[in-house]
Amino acid sequence: VTSLGWWLLNQLAHALEPAERDVVLGDFAESGDGLGAATRELMGLILRRQAALWTSWRPWLALFGVSCLAGLSLNRIALGLMEEVHRYSADYYTDLTDSQVVAFLSCLAVALLVWSWTCGFVLGSLSGRAAWLTWSGFSLVILHSAIAGLVLAGSTVTVDRQGHVVPLLRLLIGVTLATLPCSISALLGAFAGTRRGVLTVRQAYLVTVASATLTIVLTWATGPYGTAQMPARWPEVPWSTRLLPFLLASWPAVYLLAAACHAQNGNDRAATVGRGHQRATTRDPP
Amino acid sequence: MLGEFEYLLLSAAARLGEAAYGAAIRREIEDATRRPCSIGALYTTLDRLEAKGLVRTWMGDPTPQRGGRSKRVVRVTAAGVREAKTFYNAVGRASRGVSWATVRDGGPS
Repeated sequence: VTSLGWWLLNQLAHALEPAERDVVLGDFAESGDGLGAATRELMGLILRRQAALWTSWRPWLALFGVSCLAGLSLNRIALGLMEEVHRYSADYYTDLTDSQVVAFLSCLAVALLVWSWTCGFVLGSLSGRAAWLTWSGFSLVILHSAIAGLVLAGSTVTVDRQGHVVPLLRLLIGVTLATLPCSISALLGAFAGTRRGVLTVRQAYLVTVASATLTIVLTWATGPYGTAQMPARWPEVPWSTRLLPFLLASWPAVYLLAAACHAQNGNDRAATVGRGHQRATTRDPP
Repeated sequence: MLGEFEYLLLSAAARLGEAAYGAAIRREIEDATRRPCSIGALYTTLDRLEAKGLVRTWMGDPTPQRGGRSKRVVRVTAAGVREAKTFYNAVGRASRGVSWATVRDGGPS
């Protein structure tokens, strides 16, 4: 039990930077602290380090901007896509051709994957060692925010379009499956973001242009697409209302580009200073 | 102006000299204050002092006594010595004429 406890303590110490982990575990070995005391001390240090991370704006932006706002929007768009796919497979559409519906749904699916990857990347690059919290928040929001809304509203059963009762567990599985591709795409982005921090300017431009193009195309397409599903003479939803969810899901691409340009400028400045220093050293021999 | 714990840490590191590192400083502080010193407080304060330029730290060699793990070696800088002296003098001036200061010198008059 004791060796298992120390193994767990070693795993817990992974919340610290590698150098500090080495030092702290060495201190425990040297001082001969018991497992209980060592765990208490380690938890104290981890909590202080985590608290210090939150004095910066970055994890806050990751938590509220990406996990909450973008995550909520991605969840709603993914559920909307699932619903549209069900409608399409039930031959619900009358005013649209097959190719129009398939093109729209494919575009929406690609956009979801691109936006999820971008959200994951920004989450990984902004959060640092606070990633476990921001990522947990993002996963919860993207996978279960719709269900949480239902439960908080007091619903334990939901009714489908045919009037059949859908148990909450079945709904939960359905929603999880619908949002799983987004979660996987975001997870891949988060790994890349944690490892690389920023993209090159060229890569960031590519992602931002792709993201913006998808946002514009979808905002335009949801107009006629939405009207085709409504009863005749219903007014079209205003473009600003259609744009908002896409904008909330895709804004991290803009941050990605800004961060890449900022890093590029920093590198250029450092290179200029380095060249200047080299010239000065060459002119003034010691 | 230093904080109380910052002063304790600087004093312990200065007293230990070449042998100043995390675990040794912690023992010194516990001996001096007769109170437990948490690792969290120690290392976050050490970071703060290093950011202010009052100490310099680096990773020392691993030792078998520490299970082959490194130690964080600490040296007080000249700025650290100045700040500690300022704090000590301020505490000395602030303590002049108070009852607990005279107790140490043989009891209140």
